[in-house]
Amino acid sequence: MKRTLSLFLAVLMILSLASFAQAQEKDWEIVVVPKDASNPWFVRMKVGVDEYAKETGLNAYQKGTAEIDATLQAQLVQDLIAQGVDAICVVPVNPESLEPVLKQAMDAGIVVIAHEGASLLNVNYDIEAFSNTGYGAFIMDNLAEAMGEEGLYTTMVAHVTNASHNEWADAGVAHQKEAYPNMTLLEEEPRVESEDNGDVAYNKAKELFKKYPELKGVMGTSSYDAPGVARAIEELGLVGKVFTSGTGMPADNKALLESGVVKSLTLWDPALAGKAMISLAVKVLNGDAIEAPIDLGVDGYGALTFKEGSELVLEGQGWIVINKDNVDSFGF
Amino acid sequence: MHKGFRKLTKRNETYVSLVVLALCLLIEVRSGQFFTANNLVDIASAMVVPGLFAVGTFMVIVSGGIDVSFPALASLTSYATTKMLLDAGYTGGIWLPILISMAMGALLGAFNGVFIGLLGLPAMIVTLGSSSVFKGVMQGALGSVQLAVIPPGMRAFGTSSLFTATNPVSGLTSRMPVGFLALIAVLLLSFFIMRYTFFGRGIYAIGGNEASAHRAGFNTKRTKFLLYVFVGMVASLAGLIRTCMMQQNHPTNMLGMEMNIIAGVVLGGTAISGGAGSLTGCMLGTLLIVIVENSMILIGIPTIWKSVFVGALIIIGTGVSAYQVVRANRVRSTGRLEGEVKA
Amino acid sequence: MADSLLRAVDIQKSFAGVHALKGVSLDIAPGEIHCLAGENGSGKSTLIKIISGVYQPDGGYIEFDGNKLGKITPIDAILLGVQVIYQDFSVFPNLTVMENLALNSELSDKRKIVNWQRMRQIAEEAVATINFQVDLDALVGTLTVAQKQMVAICRALIFNARLIIMDEPTTALTRKEVQALFKVILQLKAQGISILFVSHKLNEVFEISERFSILRNGELVVTGFTRDLDSAKFSYYMTGREFSDEQFSAKNPGDTPLLEVRNLGLSGAFEGISFKLHGGEILGITGLLDSGRSELALALFGIREADSGEILVKGKRARINNPQAAIKRGIGLVPEDRLSEGLFLPQSIADNLIIAEIDRLASRFKVFDKKKRAREVERLVKEFAIATPNPANACQTLSGGNQQRVVLAKWLACNLDVLVLNGPTVGVDIGSKHDIHGILQNLARDGMGIIIISDDLPEVIRNCSRVIVLKSGRIVEEMDAAEATEQAILSRMM
Repeated sequence: MKRTLSLFLAVLMILSLASFAQAQEKDWEIVVVPKDASNPWFVRMKVGVDEYAKETGLNAYQKGTAEIDATLQAQLVQDLIAQGVDAICVVPVNPESLEPVLKQAMDAGIVVIAHEGASLLNVNYDIEAFSNTGYGAFIMDNLAEAMGEEGLYTTMVAHVTNASHNEWADAGVAHQKEAYPNMTLLEEEPRVESEDNGDVAYNKAKELFKKYPELKGVMGTSSYDAPGVARAIEELGLVGKVFTSGTGMPADNKALLESGVVKSLTLWDPALAGKAMISLAVKVLNGDAIEAPIDLGVDGYGALTFKEGSELVLEGQGWIVINKDNVDSFGF
Repeated sequence: MHKGFRKLTKRNETYVSLVVLALCLLIEVRSGQFFTANNLVDIASAMVVPGLFAVGTFMVIVSGGIDVSFPALASLTSYATTKMLLDAGYTGGIWLPILISMAMGALLGAFNGVFIGLLGLPAMIVTLGSSSVFKGVMQGALGSVQLAVIPPGMRAFGTSSLFTATNPVSGLTSRMPVGFLALIAVLLLSFFIMRYTFFGRGIYAIGGNEASAHRAGFNTKRTKFLLYVFVGMVASLAGLIRTCMMQQNHPTNMLGMEMNIIAGVVLGGTAISGGAGSLTGCMLGTLLIVIVENSMILIGIPTIWKSVFVGALIIIGTGVSAYQVVRANRVRSTGRLEGEVKA
Repeated sequence: MADSLLRAVDIQKSFAGVHALKGVSLDIAPGEIHCLAGENGSGKSTLIKIISGVYQPDGGYIEFDGNKLGKITPIDAILLGVQVIYQDFSVFPNLTVMENLALNSELSDKRKIVNWQRMRQIAEEAVATINFQVDLDALVGTLTVAQKQMVAICRALIFNARLIIMDEPTTALTRKEVQALFKVILQLKAQGISILFVSHKLNEVFEISERFSILRNGELVVTGFTRDLDSAKFSYYMTGREFSDEQFSAKNPGDTPLLEVRNLGLSGAFEGISFKLHGGEILGITGLLDSGRSELALALFGIREADSGEILVKGKRARINNPQAAIKRGIGLVPEDRLSEGLFLPQSIADNLIIAEIDRLASRFKVFDKKKRAREVERLVKEFAIATPNPANACQTLSGGNQQRVVLAKWLACNLDVLVLNGPTVGVDIGSKHDIHGILQNLARDGMGIIIISDDLPEVIRNCSRVIVLKSGRIVEEMDAAEATEQAILSRMM
């Protein structure tokens, strides 16, 4: 009697849980955590996130810290864990320091999707718009074209601790060695920091051009790098002699591109990346099998494949070129 | 002459100048680029914003206070001004933006001034708090994002130059920004205020002994209040000029500047306890910081060692001058004692 | 006597129910040096603040030049010619002498723009009035206390002062500097300026003033001519108590000296110092400020280790190179500046009392025993009659005399053999001074060896069984109580 009753109760509980989960599907709380809230890059990402939430009816939204700060970001993620959200999609400021917090999230049963954090271990999956090697090589192609495939160059990253910036830069250098034998990396200063600050990028570039008059190109990675370097090129009277390329937002760089100080910039669309992260989170929450190639139903993310040797990092083909001809066509 | 020399050995400014000179020589030896016309113009140009901040910080520290809110204040006023004028489609010159942002700066400075001057609360606590408030208003109420485009008048001001220095060897050119004139003007004005007005002497007097200043007849509350208003105006001017020079407004990348600015002012011999210091020293200290920050590549310090080197230079710079001044004073005081015993 | 310059009549003042002044009257003649005396809390400061317009009286009135004044502000008082020189002199250490001198008058002229030439002129005139030699461009912070005081006096003179109130002006001055100050005061008198000299030092009152007024508990006890005053009367007026002027004499000193010093020297301070101290004795060491007396005190306690000679404790050689070593040998020091060296002012009275015996109060496992501590604090407060409502109050709430008792109690709690006191009653009022002397004499009678280092000659003479006179770091005289007179000591000291 007693046993039957408890069995009955157990079955009832499982059934009610299942139905509860079913009913909750549209109410999953999925939060996108960017590096900060004011950088236009992530403002653009928010546009995609909001759009996607509207289209699908999901409870998905973006929440960022006021400043780019690894500690603040970790705190924000901790708050979200305490809040009991269902999935966290994060663009880490400093992957290493975020790792323990993401582990807490995973332990709490929260789905964790990262973007631009290929080194992370405590995630369900990390989505890259493209393989870092692919994108790094792509920036290098752009720079090489501007430089006429010859001359001395160096690389610029936000911080030497930033994972993807450094992977792009490494890949760019590797690609140059293979494809552009007439170009050389500046051995004395192979990598400088812009601190994600246009003014720093500008001052650093001025110093570089003064100390190394032979320098002909700067490969930027952060969206502050190329515009800052371009300001220095313009002021020092080096337009047409020295070149830069790198990531950049169309609207911010319209003037630079149109005046010819910068020939082309490369980019992926953060709005699409945001959508892709949420789409993948939903797949994981639904318990769908994740097998390459994966179609997330987002442009450039139609056939994601695992990065070589990884079971966590998925890579798309989401890069784009911006130049003076198409700069007006993006709407951001 | 001899007396003049003795006097020099007692002054902090002398030692900071020597440290600056030594650093310049080091950079010259390492890069061969320091004493070139365009590099000197670059340094001057990089001085404009930190220099303006330093003037305000200097005055506050002399009064025995401290202000850590100026980067937030400058960010808020420059952002609000730029945003407002962009929304209004403003196409006029630079004067209206300057006027608007300085009026806002005065208002926010008055916010600090009410709590510190009139209510007598500790400056450190008040400005830490107001710093958060300013950031909060900017990011919360104004929903700040980076402004990639600024009004044409501000853009024109930011890119216009007094003259262009050309390096005869490399052909590199550097623009001396018109904003440099603002630094000169503020320096002259502050020098006049601190040296030739009783308001300025009151700032020194309050920093020396506030109770005595009150007894001597200074209106200490009003003096402190007006001081923070003035400092708010200078900081907002710096924020606006930075926006113009960068040709974009990034609302958060001035935050965190306060530490290096305060370090520079103290390095220049301004007593952190208040009452003592000179504008010359304050500018020299700031110059040292600016040169250090903008010469790591010229010296050839590897990127990963940069912060260690900057930190070490600040400690060495402060240490050398502090030690020398202490030594000079010790020599003098024993001298005096001996003289007295003989008499 | 001429008409009064200032007359305060029946002044009443209360603060939050405390009757600070109960109908005090005071009159000061033009060109008169008038001494105002009274213990701490007697109402001196309140009276000064009423005369200088800082406080308004609750009752009574003030007449200046025969005119009855209504409500006055500090500025009104200054315009009338009343100047107060506070104990801290209200100077700016970070500004030059010139600026310190000229600031106040320029401000009262409501000037906005600084004219350095005029400031210099004002300063030059100000120092010339009393012929004060000083570098006008020196920072005031680098001057001696006496020079700062002269700056304050000169500054007061700029305002055509007619009455200068000096609040305990001799507290931090050396004997020589006091003499110089008195000369200046006489010069001012000659110019027709009245001086209200606030002091509780008897010898100064005798030396400088013509008339005196003494306050006690907010009432005027007596006012009269200084020539009619003597030491016993002065003490009585101040405290309302009679004191015996009994001379201390050592009774059965032990055979082995508790402390012996042989040929002790510290370069730049003193050399060749030798003396013995037996239990039951009080040894006086006196000398001018630069005689090395303070340094000797520091050397005996190990704060500055002597660099030649030796110290013997109970016949055994001892190396005393830090205060812990001194305490271990049973030697304690009550320092010269109890405020900076002897007490933790912001901390509680209780903590200050037990700090030196903190190890003894710990229980077996080095854990602080709270009950034991409370009992000990209670005992000490009672024994030393420390006037406080609650030992948990901060030490800075106590008067100078009571603070000094805390310092004494602190040391005596740890069973010392030898106690060295440097200026034990500096800045302490008369009543407390007598009490402290009584405590010291009792301690000596109980067998402790005591060294009083002081330039207060009556104190040395009354309390010490032997007196050593130091001059320029050397012993120039050692005398018995019988031979020690002020005249004899002074002639050797100078």
